[in-house]
Amino acid sequence: MLSKAAHGDVAAKKKKGPGALATAYLVIYNVVMTAGWLVIAVGLVRAYLARGSYHGLYYSIEKPLKFFQTGAILEVLSRVFLTWAVTHSVREVQSEDSVLLFVTAWTVTEIIRYSFYTFSLLNHLPYLIKWARYTFFIVLYPMGVTGELLTIYAALPYVQKTGLYSVTLPNKYNFSFDYYTFLILIMISYIPLFPQLYFHMIRQRKKVLGHAEDYSKVE
Amino acid sequence: MWHKSVVFFEVEILDAKTKDKLCFLDKVEPNATIGEIKSMFHKSHPQWYPARQSIRLDPKGKSLKDEDVLQHLPVGTTATFYFRDLGAQISWVTVFLTEYTGPLVIYLMFYFRVPFIYAPKYDFTTSKHWVVHLACMCHSFHYVKRLLETLFVHRFSHGTMPLRNIFKNCTYYWGFAAWMAYYINHPLYTPPIYGEQQIRLALIVFLFCQIGNFSIHVALRNLRPPGSKTRKIPYPTKNPFTWIFLLVSCPNYTYELGSWLGFTLMTQCLPVAFFTLVGFIQMTVWAKGKHRSYLKEFRDYPPLRSPILPFVL
Repeated sequence: MLSKAAHGDVAAKKKKGPGALATAYLVIYNVVMTAGWLVIAVGLVRAYLARGSYHGLYYSIEKPLKFFQTGAILEVLSRVFLTWAVTHSVREVQSEDSVLLFVTAWTVTEIIRYSFYTFSLLNHLPYLIKWARYTFFIVLYPMGVTGELLTIYAALPYVQKTGLYSVTLPNKYNFSFDYYTFLILIMISYIPLFPQLYFHMIRQRKKVLGHAEDYSKVE
Repeated sequence: MWHKSVVFFEVEILDAKTKDKLCFLDKVEPNATIGEIKSMFHKSHPQWYPARQSIRLDPKGKSLKDEDVLQHLPVGTTATFYFRDLGAQISWVTVFLTEYTGPLVIYLMFYFRVPFIYAPKYDFTTSKHWVVHLACMCHSFHYVKRLLETLFVHRFSHGTMPLRNIFKNCTYYWGFAAWMAYYINHPLYTPPIYGEQQIRLALIVFLFCQIGNFSIHVALRNLRPPGSKTRKIPYPTKNPFTWIFLLVSCPNYTYELGSWLGFTLMTQCLPVAFFTLVGFIQMTVWAKGKHRSYLKEFRDYPPLRSPILPFVL
């Protein structure tokens, strides 16, 4: 049975925030993620410069993209899904401009987001990073979503033709799954989900940047 | 009738968020309960019926119970309470009846193959596999049992729950019922690999667990006299199906899991397995919560018991 004093200690510890080990882990994690996305961004730029166009860009960043996508267990599911279940699985989609659209959007978003987390953890957040995090999304979110939707849409005819990831009756598990219909449902789900996310970020922006005038530029 | 000088209380009710004075009651009997105070508050604010009132001593504190008596609370002769609106409420009985009637009706619609579900040539036909008829009987029996228990067996400690729960719950029950029923009653349904043996075993497991589940519900009902909200430790009774109380705190959930495992085996249908898994996860969460509150409330709670699976979980 815990004494009241011990209980108090535990409660106090909880309030102090993540312990040193957790903070160290989070800092390293965020630095690695920032670096990873920087690698992808650099790769994109170099490949573009080398080829003179942006066809085939996906292949140049495929490996690091996959690594940093699946490494990010905490990432939003849509990122992993788009990379593996759509773009990777449907070869024909990989040369589409829509892929470039969402990869660029994600890349820039993620570099800003992970630098934001890294700096926050070290209690030294430059105002510029905070401003970037809460402003760039205004263009990057719609850009990313458009790219994602166009990519899924582009994959549809190939999924239907090949029956990719689909299971039909009869079978001994009495189960069926139509990947084509599933993708359409995913696309439809963007309609309620995206505006909610977007306007949540806008509200956050008002709250966070609204008070900017009251505080000093560097925290 | 004894006439003694009674010190009346004054009660003021403030909004927990805005701290506005919502109501002032003078000459309140010292032995008035929170429930009675809620009724009085309801008179001045008819839109807040007692079930949606949360009355507390502290704006951020726990809700007081309807049975709490005014003079036994840590308040002066002018008591200040804070009010929070719990939102529209709906009775547990209504929710249960609605969420259980859906699966009963929906499954039958698939069983009888009403139009627009399967290809038109199958409309109003019946499956050629006898296990499909058996499954329909078991599924229907299960939900009829639940409806009857709701009406005649269960004693609910809470009268109501938030209205939005009915949409959430019905989506879960009705959605899964439709999903399972679609495959079991499908013209291309494949019966269990091990045929009669598998089906027979599954049926025995299913019936055993249905009786077990019912026995537990009756035992729990008998723990609690009508109209009371007292909590007691459940113990095994003369009924052998209740002897599982020796090993488990919430055997009703154990038996429920068993029933659905039986149904999964009977139908050999992946969606049924999935439904069983999701239900198991939810029931485990509930069982652990119940087990924890038993341990907190009763010093002498039997140590051998696990929440839902003997020795395991």
